[in-house]
Order: sequence, then C-alpha cells, then structure tokens
Amino acid sequence: MKNLKNIVAVILIMLIAGVAYSQDNISPARKMAIDSLALEKVRDLSKYISIIGDKKTPWSEANRVIDRTLELFADGAQMGVSSLNQPEVKYYGIRAYLERLMALNYDQVKIEWFNIEYISDLEKQPDGRYVGVITIYQRFEGRTGDKLKYVDTTKKDITVYVERKQTQIGGRIIGFWDVLLGDVRVVETKP
Amino acid sequence: MLKTMKQGFMMRLFVMMLAGLVAGGLTSCKSQKKIAAEKAAVERAQKIEKAKQDILKVINDKGTLTLSQKEDIVSQVKGMNLNDPELNALIEKADEIIARERKEAERLKKEKEEQAKKVEEVKKEEEQKFNKIEDYLDGIAASKSLEMSATRINETLKFFATPDAPVLIIIHKEGDIKDYDKPTTIKKYLEYLKDQGKNPNYIYNIQYDANGKITELELIKK
Repeated sequence: MKNLKNIVAVILIMLIAGVAYSQDNISPARKMAIDSLALEKVRDLSKYISIIGDKKTPWSEANRVIDRTLELFADGAQMGVSSLNQPEVKYYGIRAYLERLMALNYDQVKIEWFNIEYISDLEKQPDGRYVGVITIYQRFEGRTGDKLKYVDTTKKDITVYVERKQTQIGGRIIGFWDVLLGDVRVVETKP
Repeated sequence: MLKTMKQGFMMRLFVMMLAGLVAGGLTSCKSQKKIAAEKAAVERAQKIEKAKQDILKVINDKGTLTLSQKEDIVSQVKGMNLNDPELNALIEKADEIIARERKEAERLKKEKEEQAKKVEEVKKEEEQKFNKIEDYLDGIAASKSLEMSATRINETLKFFATPDAPVLIIIHKEGDIKDYDKPTTIKKYLEYLKDQGKNPNYIYNIQYDANGKITELELIKK
C-alpha cells in the first residue's frame, strides 16, 4: 500500500514537471524570432542615436526621438562614454547621455554602429527573464566646419532583457515579448 | 373368320391407344403452358413489388440517397416497362420529388456561387485597402524630408479612428500561437517608420469601426 502511494506521488511529480517544461519550452524558430527582435531593438537604438547626434535634427525632433529612445531602456540603465583623450570611462543615465550627445560642441556629428551581434545568447534566468549580451562597434566623427576634429571607434556591450508579458487590447489578452536594453558598457576605444 | 375378327379388334385397340396417347400428350402440353404463364405472372408480380419498394425508397428518402442515385433508381424501374398503374403512379410521384429536389439543388448551387463571388469581392476589396495603407506606410518610411514625412503621417492618421489606435506586430506565428512585439500606437508607429527610414512589416489584419475608420492594425514581420 505504501509502495503504491509512492508510485502515484512519483507519477504526479513527473506529470507536473512535464506540464511546466512544455509551457516553458520554446521552439528554435520562436527563440530565433525573439533573438531577432532584440537585435532589431539595438539597430533601432543605433538609428535614434545618429538622429539625436545629427546637428541637422531640429531640437524638438531630437527631444521627441530622445523620448522614443528612453522607451527602449530599462529603468536605471547607464551608457558608458569613452574618449581617446581620457583614460577612464564615464557612465551616464540614458537621458543625460542623450542630452549631452545633442549638445556636443561640433558642427557635424556622425555616429554609425556596425557589426551588431550577440556575444552571449539570450538565456533563461531563474526569474523567467531571458538575458543576453549584444556587442556593437560605434564609429564617432565630430567635425568643425569641414575639418575632422575627433574620430574614434568604440566597442560596446549591451545587456538585453527579454520578458514575456501580457496586456489587454480590444477585450483580448495579448501576450508579447518586452525587450529592454540595460547598461551599455565600453569594452575598448581605438582611433 | 375368327382370325379376321381378331385382327379387326387388334386394329381398333391400336387406334384407340394411339388416340389416347395423342389426347394425353396434348393435355400435358396445355398444362405446362399454364404453369409457365402462372410462373411468369408470379415473376412479374414480384418484379412490380420490388420496383414499388425501390420507388418508395426514393419517395420516402430522408437524405440517405443522392439526387443522382434517386434518378438512377427511377430510370432503372422505368426501363423495366412493367406498365403497372399503381407503379406508374408511384413513378410519377418520384419524378415530381426528383424535379423539386433538382430545382432546389440548382438554387443552392447558384446561391453558393454567389456567396463565393461575394467573399472573393470582399477579399479583393480588403486587399486593396491593405495595399493602400501599405503604400502610405512605405511612403512615410521613404520620406526625404521632415516636412514630407509630417504631411504623410497626417494623411495616414486620417484613416484611423484615433492616433492611439493599437498596432500589434507579430514577430512569429506557429499554428494559432502568435508572438507579438510590445504593442504600440499608430502615431508612434508612423513616427518609428519615419525615424528608421524603413518599413519592416506587412499588414496582417485591419479592424474597422462602423465609420470605416481603422481601430486596430495587426502587422507581421517581413
């Protein structure tokens, strides 16, 4: 009788574990779509930074884009800033960084991001969130008149958080993947 | 004399026996014909009964037979040329039922064709609407100046019930399961197209209100 109880208990545990596994299990195609979504958010950030840094962008427009950019980041995220002229890396809150970028003392600013790729794949954490790291290379050019005053290429690592959330739209529950960017850390800066 | 009398008697006996044989043979032939006739009559009666049952199956059918099966049964019975008044009356009734059902089948076929045509027209109309909105979205993404994009955004917003109309973007679809990006509003989405200078999604579905304004836009990754 005691043996029978033990067998039933083991079967129940296996069933519960099986259900939990099937709910958490994401097919490779689905995972790929989530990976791509996070990469796209980083590409979007790249475009926003180039718009904000561009001296031709009107002030009001740059401020609107700053608001859109902030929506990409998790609360409290920081941006690392480096310079060939200074050895240490400074970290700013995202709004502060973007406002400094907008106010840079150059006539022309060109910022390009390239080689955007994962260096650490999105992995599921015990709290249910997926966390990964995407690396990017940023080429910065600052000109005064037609003269190139400053140029560098910085390698940066961006922590990416992806979380499954739900919202109600038109009376329906919509499940979505919320991608938020975390700290952007400077890895190295070269001329 | 006695011998002659004996011969005459024998002859008469022979003639009588012959006559008896012939008469007997004729009687037997006559009864065989009668049996055959009776047999034929029974067979005909059985055929008529079977034909009646078949026709009654057609008349009383509650949807187990197809129209062509019914037509085949009636045609087979007609081909037997049984010429029985009761059977003929049943055939006439079955013909009436078949004619009524054929008319109804034709009406349903026509109705179905018209319905399919209507669905096709609605689909085409919907596609045209999708294409129209798609063109506007492409136009915003391809704008060369802030003024041009602002004008195009305002033009596009006129199709929507509100600038806050939700925009859902499907990033992956597996059977009935859809994975979405974080929902946004149409105003923010149009500004996104302008900022990014690209239109990375196709229109998947549009929902309208009673005034024909868009209340929800569902997109899918290209």
